[in-house]
Amino acid sequence: MSERMIRKAGAFEILNHWALALSFFVLALSGAGFLYHLEGVAALFGGPQGMRGIHNWAGVVFAVSLAGTVFNYLGVSLSFSYDDIDWLMKGGGYLSRKKINVPPQDKINTGQKLYYLGVLFAGGLISASGLAIWLLPGNRELVLASHFVHTLCYAALLFFIPIHIYLATLANPGTVRIMISGTVPLDWARKRHAKWVKKMGYE
Amino acid sequence: MARQALLVSPELCIGCRGCQTACKEWNHLSVQKTRNTGTFENPPDLSRTAYNRIRFIEMPTEGGPRWMFVSQRCMHCGDAPCMTICPSAGAIFRTKEGAVAFNRDKCIGCRLCSSACPFGLVRFDEKNRISKCHMCSDRIASGLSPACAKTCPTGALKFGDRNSMISLARTAGYNKLYGEEDLAGLSVLYAFKESPKVYGLKENPAMPETLVFWNEILKPLAYAGFGLAVGASLLHYLAIGPKREEEETRHE
Ligand code: HEM
Ligand code: SF4
Ligand code: SF4
Repeated sequence: MSERMIRKAGAFEILNHWALALSFFVLALSGAGFLYHLEGVAALFGGPQGMRGIHNWAGVVFAVSLAGTVFNYLGVSLSFSYDDIDWLMKGGGYLSRKKINVPPQDKINTGQKLYYLGVLFAGGLISASGLAIWLLPGNRELVLASHFVHTLCYAALLFFIPIHIYLATLANPGTVRIMISGTVPLDWARKRHAKWVKKMGYE
Repeated sequence: MARQALLVSPELCIGCRGCQTACKEWNHLSVQKTRNTGTFENPPDLSRTAYNRIRFIEMPTEGGPRWMFVSQRCMHCGDAPCMTICPSAGAIFRTKEGAVAFNRDKCIGCRLCSSACPFGLVRFDEKNRISKCHMCSDRIASGLSPACAKTCPTGALKFGDRNSMISLARTAGYNKLYGEEDLAGLSVLYAFKESPKVYGLKENPAMPETLVFWNEILKPLAYAGFGLAVGASLLHYLAIGPKREEEETRHE
């Protein structure tokens, strides 16, 4: 391939994202095992005690890798401009295959920014509440509130994350490269992240 | 099987604590060293070795102090918050007699049950697994009384069909028992002469509100939300399809 490539994600971002994704998968599955009393899932984790240990420690991996994402996405997610409003009005051009002239986007687009802020919020709360249930079991009020928040965030994440996965894989073929090699064709980047490509010094 | 219950009548209790000993005997519970705190109350709290105990309450009255002896243990709630919150299938379960029993092999030691219990009656063993009164579920399954009730020499602890326990108390002059209605009825009914507060019990025990909402709304919501997200993605894929690179707009 003689296509010119541009690096969109570095080694840290890729590894961190996989740690987050895999720990999330383990947590979501074991969490469903607890929430819906799925004994088959518990057996998969070596029984209910094993599932608890794995859930709690996967939780630590999740919390640490979530904190790691701050270095990659928080700055850009907090920078909004008129282009973002425009993007939202046009629905990001995401849902249809028609050619829609969406405003130029930064390293991540408006939808991804909002999604990131939501995941950071819900992920932060699910981690804090999980740690409270785990480490402060004597504190009745705190545990009951945490237990509630833990499942509330679970519901939110279980809605948004499948959509995120769909958009990054099946819906937009080629995107998943960012989490594998970390590089994308310059041409592709120009279409989707024009602002960022410019910032990187390309014409 | 009709729901069984314990009827506790503090007025009849002489504080002999035979029930405490009988419970240890039947359930093979050891003893823990305690300290004299200036009352006859011993042990000072429920524990992994004390599934029941007699609380000694000293109430000053005009004619000198009045003593009340109140049996304390898990209430075997008809709608048990501990069971609702427990994340491990089968760790807490209801027996056909209506007792709230437990299976240590399935308990994961998360202690959520302890936070959910409106009465704060759950304790844990050395391995951090649930340990509480199970109404001698093994005895009552074969038609015997729980060890405590079997031992009680005065009738302060009686065991039997829940409805007949209520009628029994009615004939003894108690119009309303503590635990008749709250939490779908407790299986430990108290014949109190005074307000429950005097005996150190909550006036209206209930399932924690967050737990009700969690159980009835959040649990199905998480499930439905996931289904919706996967379903909508699938539908989009089939109806509209992926966005291929060559179809995109280019910013010049
Ligand atoms: C720092 C991160 C986390 C920690 C420390 C943590 C800890 C816990 C604890 C202590 C419990 C109670 C059962 C047990 O002892 O294992 C629990 C339950 C649960 N967790 Fe987490 N968790 C974390 C993150 C997550 C994430 C990211 C998810 C979702 C993907 C999740 C979903 C659930 C669910 C659904 C339950 C069952 C709730 C219930 O039955 O009430 N957890 N978690
Ligand atoms: S009294 Fe507490 S431990 Fe006993 S059944 Fe009710 S909630 Fe569970
Ligand atoms: S400590 Fe055991 S019995 Fe109590 S909620 Fe957790 S798993 Fe259930």
